[in-house]
Amino acid sequence: MKKLLTLTIAALLLTGLSMQTVSAQDAESIMKESHMAYYYAANDGVADVHMSIVSKRGKERVREFAMLRLDIEEGGRQNYFTYFKKPSDVARTTFMVHKSNGSNDLRWIYIPSIDLIKPISADDKNSSFVGSDFTYEDVSGRHWLEDNHTLKGEEKIGDKDVYVIESIPKEEYKGFARKVSYIDKATKLPLKEEYFDKKDNLEREFTAENIEVIDGFTTITVRKMNNVKKGGHTVVTFNKITYNQGLKEDIFTERYLKNPPREYISN
Amino acid sequence: MKRFTILSILIFVLMVVPYANAEIHTDGFVQGLFGGFVESDNPTLSDQSVSETRLQVRMSSYGDNGEFFSRSDFVYDGISDTYDWEIREAYLKFRLGSKIDFKVGRQIITWGTGDLIFINDVFAKDYRSFFSGRDDQYLKAPQNALRMEYYNSLGSFSFVFTPRFEPNRLPTGERLSYYNPFVGKIVSTNDDPMYYFEPPTPDPTFGNSEFAVRYQRRVGMYAFALYFYKGFYKNPRGLDANMMPVYPGLLLSGFSLRGQQFGGILWIEGGYYNSKDNEDNANPLLPNSSMSGLIGFEKQIATNLTVNIQYQADKMEDYDKFEAAQDSTFHYRDEIKHLITSRWTKMLRDETVMLSGFIFYSPNEEDLYFRFSTEYKYTDEITLTAGGNIFDGTYANTDFGQFALNDNLFVKMTYNF
Repeated sequence: MKKLLTLTIAALLLTGLSMQTVSAQDAESIMKESHMAYYYAANDGVADVHMSIVSKRGKERVREFAMLRLDIEEGGRQNYFTYFKKPSDVARTTFMVHKSNGSNDLRWIYIPSIDLIKPISADDKNSSFVGSDFTYEDVSGRHWLEDNHTLKGEEKIGDKDVYVIESIPKEEYKGFARKVSYIDKATKLPLKEEYFDKKDNLEREFTAENIEVIDGFTTITVRKMNNVKKGGHTVVTFNKITYNQGLKEDIFTERYLKNPPREYISN
Repeated sequence: MKRFTILSILIFVLMVVPYANAEIHTDGFVQGLFGGFVESDNPTLSDQSVSETRLQVRMSSYGDNGEFFSRSDFVYDGISDTYDWEIREAYLKFRLGSKIDFKVGRQIITWGTGDLIFINDVFAKDYRSFFSGRDDQYLKAPQNALRMEYYNSLGSFSFVFTPRFEPNRLPTGERLSYYNPFVGKIVSTNDDPMYYFEPPTPDPTFGNSEFAVRYQRRVGMYAFALYFYKGFYKNPRGLDANMMPVYPGLLLSGFSLRGQQFGGILWIEGGYYNSKDNEDNANPLLPNSSMSGLIGFEKQIATNLTVNIQYQADKMEDYDKFEAAQDSTFHYRDEIKHLITSRWTKMLRDETVMLSGFIFYSPNEEDLYFRFSTEYKYTDEITLTAGGNIFDGTYANTDFGQFALNDNLFVKMTYNF
């Protein structure tokens, strides 16, 4: 009898454990797929970006820039090129990132008025991207292996079925203590993300405001980050998106930082 | 020289014609800058360090063959009640084949790794602007030049040919006072118009043109560069036989290395200044040849707070010969001049407020310069800035001590369009 009880408990524990493992794996593979769909669509991408940063008091600031992305390895190294158009005091400034998972990203800025190329120390991925409510990491993506993911359930957002996945950083992280993502089952794109701080207060909330299929790739064209804690929000609109333009790795070098590739970037 | 001018005009015309139909993009700013001296005993005519209203217009256009860009400033000077204008930049950029880039015309050129310390960057600087609160972009003075960049698998090669020598713009005694070694005190043109300091530049002959070369490539995580320059010292550091200031001849060769290290950016740069008109460093009226080296490190030490620190050493080649010619009643420099600098930049309120400070300090020359500013981006269009420049030196004839009476505070308002 005692033996049976022990066995039963053991069996229960084992199934419990394995169930947990299965769901963890599922959650991780969903997050990986989501990351690929969101950050690595096609081999490269070009877009004109309009960013509206609205403060707590309702004051709006606008950033406009062209953005080029090239995937060097799917899910791994990636290069970004940004050319600012507005506001006019930063117009023509260019910015380049060589993202490499595992080690620090390399970032450079070129300030045309003084012809200066400057590498930027990229220690803090959690700092704001050009004063918006998005961080550098929100723009280029946080690797799915940096967090432990758990499938919390399934829900509906509008008419879309979503997975609800909780992510907890493996190492203590300033960006968030806990994140809940609502991943569209069909496209694997995040329709909503909630970032919680150490005290489990909702800090920021991401929502996909508009989704379109472009060149066969489902793309979130309007992205909103609501800064619940601080007040205010940022809305990013992607225009003139094109994929698989055949961008060359050469573009992501100092030469083009100083001489933006005009075939992809207008004034 | 003439041939070069004609050639430039020809290239210009050939390049502009295809732009006739191209869209021209225009933007710029209007800016008011007002500053005053802190010290009441500055001998300058006005106790205002700066009072100007500036309009900058930028125009750019590009086509399949290249790109045109111009930046022109129109300035009303409230101290002298005069108008002035300057073409800051006007150049054409185009590509020859797939490996060569050209940039021809009036342009701003920068290279090297130092932060406000320039060893291999011998392109013209404007310290009159730098010391009086104008935007950072005005530290670099434009020069009329032809720049060519050649890229191949070994790295990139840059050649800059400046037909006519372009010196640094230094305080002339008109707006900012300076130390005059002949009278042994700080002077201005208000004391006597003869103190107006703007030495004649070398004759515009082909032999006197400036030629600068850089080779750069990546070595692992680092950007490595070699530099060479033939021209003149950018400051009038010598005297001719009539004891008139001159720009002595210079041959400069150097290197730099910069990359990510220790969670920040690390840079090292060195250069050998060969005072080519002063063989064996025997002429005490001309500068001694010297070696200059610097090391710097920058790191984001807290959210939105970036700090850097640099150390530079500048060593004279034949100090004995230099020292033998010095008058011991005046301060003169040590064999090695040490300089420490540090920049602090803090961003606040979603990067709309920027506090920054930069200090230069030479412990053995007992020389100091501190610049600071607060910038507030009220809207995308309107920026408000307030700041100051503080000079302090134990001796009146050191790099910054010579400007010791020019301490100033300024306010600036910019409307970007």
